[in-house]
Amino acid sequence: MTIPAIHLAGVSRRFGALHAVRDVSFDVAAGERRAVLGPNGAGKTTLFNTICGDFPPTAGRIEFFGADITAAKPHHRTRMGIGRTYQTSLLFNGLSVLDNLFIAVRGLRPNRFSFLRPGRDDSGMQKARELAERMRLSHLLDSEVINLSHGQRRQLEVGMALAGDPRLLMLDEPAAGLSPGDRPELLRLLRELPRSLTLILIEHDMDIALPAADIVTVMKDGEVVVEATPDRIESDPVVQAIYLGGGH
Amino acid sequence: MHSRVLLWSALGLALLLVMPWLLLQALPQNQAQFWTANILGRGIVFGIIAMSLTFLATYGGFISLAQMMVAGVAGYTLAIFVDGAVPRIAGGLGYGLAIPLAILAATVMGLIVGAIAVRTRDIYLLMITLALAMGIFRFIETNIAWFNGYEGIRNVVGPDVFGFDFRNAYVFYYIALGTAGALYFGVLYLVRTPFGLVLQGIRDNPRRVAALGYAVGPHRIAAFGVAGFIAGCGGVLATIYNIGISPGSIGLGATVNVLIMSVIGGLGHPIGAFVGSLVFTFFDTFSASIYDRERFNTLIGVVFLVIVLLSPDGLLGAGARLRKMLGGRDAP
Repeated sequence: MTIPAIHLAGVSRRFGALHAVRDVSFDVAAGERRAVLGPNGAGKTTLFNTICGDFPPTAGRIEFFGADITAAKPHHRTRMGIGRTYQTSLLFNGLSVLDNLFIAVRGLRPNRFSFLRPGRDDSGMQKARELAERMRLSHLLDSEVINLSHGQRRQLEVGMALAGDPRLLMLDEPAAGLSPGDRPELLRLLRELPRSLTLILIEHDMDIALPAADIVTVMKDGEVVVEATPDRIESDPVVQAIYLGGGH
Repeated sequence: MHSRVLLWSALGLALLLVMPWLLLQALPQNQAQFWTANILGRGIVFGIIAMSLTFLATYGGFISLAQMMVAGVAGYTLAIFVDGAVPRIAGGLGYGLAIPLAILAATVMGLIVGAIAVRTRDIYLLMITLALAMGIFRFIETNIAWFNGYEGIRNVVGPDVFGFDFRNAYVFYYIALGTAGALYFGVLYLVRTPFGLVLQGIRDNPRRVAALGYAVGPHRIAAFGVAGFIAGCGGVLATIYNIGISPGSIGLGATVNVLIMSVIGGLGHPIGAFVGSLVFTFFDTFSASIYDRERFNTLIGVVFLVIVLLSPDGLLGAGARLRKMLGGRDAP
């Protein structure tokens, strides 16, 4: 039996009286592309945050390649190989694109806590430049992040999440707020990701989510209601009821 | 932009290097000495302490009101352990050992402040650092055995430096300037290192920093340790300048003065601390003769209000806006 990249067993998260995630259990195989869909308030981002450690679950167990990470701190999970982006870009606005990527690269290296300035041929700097090239941001290396367009910020988000060569990449609505012109670029980025990488994607936009996913999980009111392949998901009556209001 | 900052900083340093000579050309010798030591020298020393605050504020987003207290820890450590201080508390050390010990004590105190305040931000950080500063102040003020209570410790005259007497105005001035220059350029270097970049990342987005694999708490504590080192250097110089230390020099008034210096200069760049401290020292020294001996604090208060009202980001911000109005480029 192969060990799944992510194993969720009865994961719940409460905020006081609000039960944001209820008893969620599923596995994501290594190398799988998983999309998590659902209406606003379904608990998708909260589930993401429990996997990444921002909010530990109030019940249940989370395993990452067989290791129990239920109580691990966010930076430990990152060091184990979980990379993520955020629904709203969380970047370092006062720093340049290169500095943002460099911080992301250094975060997983043993010399992350250094009082010595990196040289131009520093391997971390070189990798930051390579990431900028991969994200089509090479022409903006010295630009302050606060001056970037929304689409460029999303590209930088993905670049930073990839900086540590994660085994699992979690993208929280990467297409949110993107103009129609920026969407093909995002889809290209997703398609270029190596197949060895496990991907979990929250996305409202079916045109982005379905072509990128192997399996789709649909959530509503904190629970998993459907799990199916993309070709079956659009015709699923429960999904139609959720998205089109049918059946109510 | 970075090279422009270095150019302006080098020009400022060059000007300060020749200021004693310029003052001697313009003023009688005793007045030139007074300006060199009591205005410029004192301003630079308090600028070092203010820079420990602006380092944390500019690059970490942390406003700490404990920096004057941390400087005082260095001052008291020096006064307690150095030979010749009155009354003799512990003694036994020359300045060559007592000064590094004092700076080490301030660094450790900075780390302690950082560790206690590690989970707080904004107004809560302000309050917890103020509470720590006032707690230590009261402890020192009421402890006779180690700190000689209200009277403090006197006769900390400073060492001979390569045969030059520290009490000579010019020796003091150039040591203060050299220390300030080394610390200032050290800060500019540090903020471009991985440690400094991550500190700025914590300022902008601590959650993302953790998501990239960094332990935010220890990083924050280390930044307070660096600020403690800077404040400690300032504390040693301030204690030698004042020929001793008493609780009043780390009380609420002194704590607020360091904050005022930082805000007057501007929190956008470490140089603001020195600009603010020089302006503050000027008005602190001359307001009694400019306005009224009884109400000199009113003048300092009005100057502070005018600067903050006209330019919330201090004199640095005002300078930047002025350059923009005159068609120049962005401020360094």
